[in-house]
Amino acid sequence: MLSRVDLKKLMRAVAETRESEIGCDECFEQMDRFAEVEFSGSDAATVMPLVHDHLRKCEDCHEKYEALLIAIGAG
Amino acid sequence: MVSAILSAMTHQTHMQERTNEQWLAELRGPNPDEALADLYDLLVRGLRAALGGHADGVDANVGDFAQEALIKIVSNLDSFRGESRFTTWAKKIAMNVALTELKRRRWRDVSLQDLLDRRAATGIGLADPQLTPEQVVFQNTVLATLQRTIDAELTDRQREAVVAVILEGMPIAEAARRMGTNQNALYKLLHDARKKLKLRMEAAGLSPQEVLAAFDEG
Repeated sequence: MLSRVDLKKLMRAVAETRESEIGCDECFEQMDRFAEVEFSGSDAATVMPLVHDHLRKCEDCHEKYEALLIAIGAG
Repeated sequence: MVSAILSAMTHQTHMQERTNEQWLAELRGPNPDEALADLYDLLVRGLRAALGGHADGVDANVGDFAQEALIKIVSNLDSFRGESRFTTWAKKIAMNVALTELKRRRWRDVSLQDLLDRRAATGIGLADPQLTPEQVVFQNTVLATLQRTIDAELTDRQREAVVAVILEGMPIAEAARRMGTNQNALYKLLHDARKKLKLRMEAAGLSPQEVLAAFDEG
């Protein structure tokens, strides 16, 4: 049964839903390029909006992306 | 190849800069040891930095993660499309190997059935005392609409995925493993479920943005 605590979680997930979204595989395929665009100082969200959108919604992919940024920074 | 990777692990010299083409040529060539060794060092450095915030014991696994990633990288060189630096692509694979495994360990003892059973036994919970009576009524209406849609219109698998991933915070890859599917397919299943919920809410005159705004004000 849904509780009141669930409501916000569910609403957030539903509110951000778009008709067309890319999946985890496509996001992962483009993640290295997206990271380099961001690292170069360009607005990666504008250049690759679908990847940006997926990373906002998918915690699994977002975590990998954050780790990748740190790894790139480590040289 | 494994012996070359093992010898790469003991390599200590300073790494030379390479273009993407040079990386590929060396790794595919007859003497890949030097490139393998350099790549291994690079992955270890990246993994150490990226996993620094994780629990104790991770450092001891960094070598294993780098080794596993190296094997994947070398066997998938043909899938590198040259849209980033080769080293960025390689690091991406290493991060995927490490985080997938760390998550698997963290969620090892959690069964999907336990999450679903616990959920079935929870009640609606008390309303936030800061909400006005009108907001409580509105909240109850939204909850009833959502519950109805979840019960009547989502498939069993969609319902399980919504509970596990959105409500209980289980990583998609872990929920997918338990449901006998993969991360990408489960994301798509969830996307379909979210779209259905959104459609039904809108049909009932409820905009998710307005609902969120109403309760953030409360």
